[in-house]
Amino acid sequence: MEKGGTGVGIEGVLDKGFVTTTADKLINWARTGSMWPVTFGLACCAVEMMHAGGARYDLDRFGIIFRPSPRQSDVMIVAGTLTNKMAPALRKVYDQMAEPRWVISMGSCANGGGYYHDSYAVMRGCDRVVPVDIYVPGCPPTAEALLYGILQLQSKIRRTSTIARQLS
Amino acid sequence: MSSKLEELQAYLNSHLEGKFTSSVLAWGELSLEIPVRSWLDVCNFLRHDEQTQFEQLSDLCGVDYSTYGQAEWDTQASSTGFSRAVPAQAPDLFDFDQVKAQATASETATTKRFAVVIHLLSLKHNRRIRLRTFCEDHTYPVVPSIVRIWSSANWYEREAFDLVGIMFNYHPDLRRILTDYGFIGHPLRKDFPLAGQVEMRYDPLQRRVIYEPVSIVTQPSVPRVIRQDQPSIASQESSR
Repeated sequence: MEKGGTGVGIEGVLDKGFVTTTADKLINWARTGSMWPVTFGLACCAVEMMHAGGARYDLDRFGIIFRPSPRQSDVMIVAGTLTNKMAPALRKVYDQMAEPRWVISMGSCANGGGYYHDSYAVMRGCDRVVPVDIYVPGCPPTAEALLYGILQLQSKIRRTSTIARQLS
Repeated sequence: MSSKLEELQAYLNSHLEGKFTSSVLAWGELSLEIPVRSWLDVCNFLRHDEQTQFEQLSDLCGVDYSTYGQAEWDTQASSTGFSRAVPAQAPDLFDFDQVKAQATASETATTKRFAVVIHLLSLKHNRRIRLRTFCEDHTYPVVPSIVRIWSSANWYEREAFDLVGIMFNYHPDLRRILTDYGFIGHPLRKDFPLAGQVEMRYDPLQRRVIYEPVSIVTQPSVPRVIRQDQPSIASQESSR
């Protein structure tokens, strides 16, 4: 063992441009760097979602590119009022997404029914249909709020470990 | 503008004698009330006659008049503004006028509960008109369909059937249009509960979205409790 080395036998190549990391960090870096959302705009929140995707806040710089297909997507942003009639379709879209998959619930209506909580036709929160990772409050939330929610989801993903076992 | 409508009103009075029960010209708008049996005749006439020629149906909707005119809240207006809303008072049983008004109101509620209202526009004459017809039977309200006269009535009539439950005779495709597949009831009827009958959730065992009886109760909106010991409010109350 050379002095000052870490003892894994790669000290000689570190100065040639190689870096060492854990597999989990690499996986999470890849996952947070390309969260492709499936476009699920349902109401006025979708307009704010479009603002977040537009030139000013520019979700592309986070590697977030809206996809028209759930099969190419990692995250679903439920943006707007989820009605009873739409709920089976939402679940179908969610079931078509490949794992690992995440859900961001955007706005009061998707969080818990919001203004339409007492309505006969509206779901009291999209978490009755799909498991939600991040709730973004607001009616509608601003583009900054959605962006903050997305950053929260990124830090949530960074905390997961796929390879390393959690010590209980 | 109103003179044109007065001309139209006079023309309709002479040419549709006995086919409408009333025609009202108010606020620059002409409204006819038509019995169901002459509904199609009047619509046909207004669509095709040279002097009327209402080519466009701009709106059709169903109305439930069962709680018409009954106020949920009372407010009093004064020079300083509006008072706080209080629940409307039940009629005083010793005041004959109030009891009589209540009785006639409930009577009209049962006999003339459902109505269909349409708005017509004549592009040629630049005139508008409103027609209303009351369904004769409030347990099974039926109105003849006007899809053959204005094809745009198709989805409007489906909407009125879906939300208010008015049947349209000879409609080509009278299905629900807005509510959920398999929905039961007509949500815009005044006796439909706001929270509905069913709610949904995803069932992980059956792996599908299922319906369940609704678990929440509709909460009536009650006026806020005002603390009387606040000096500003107390002074306002005493000055009244």
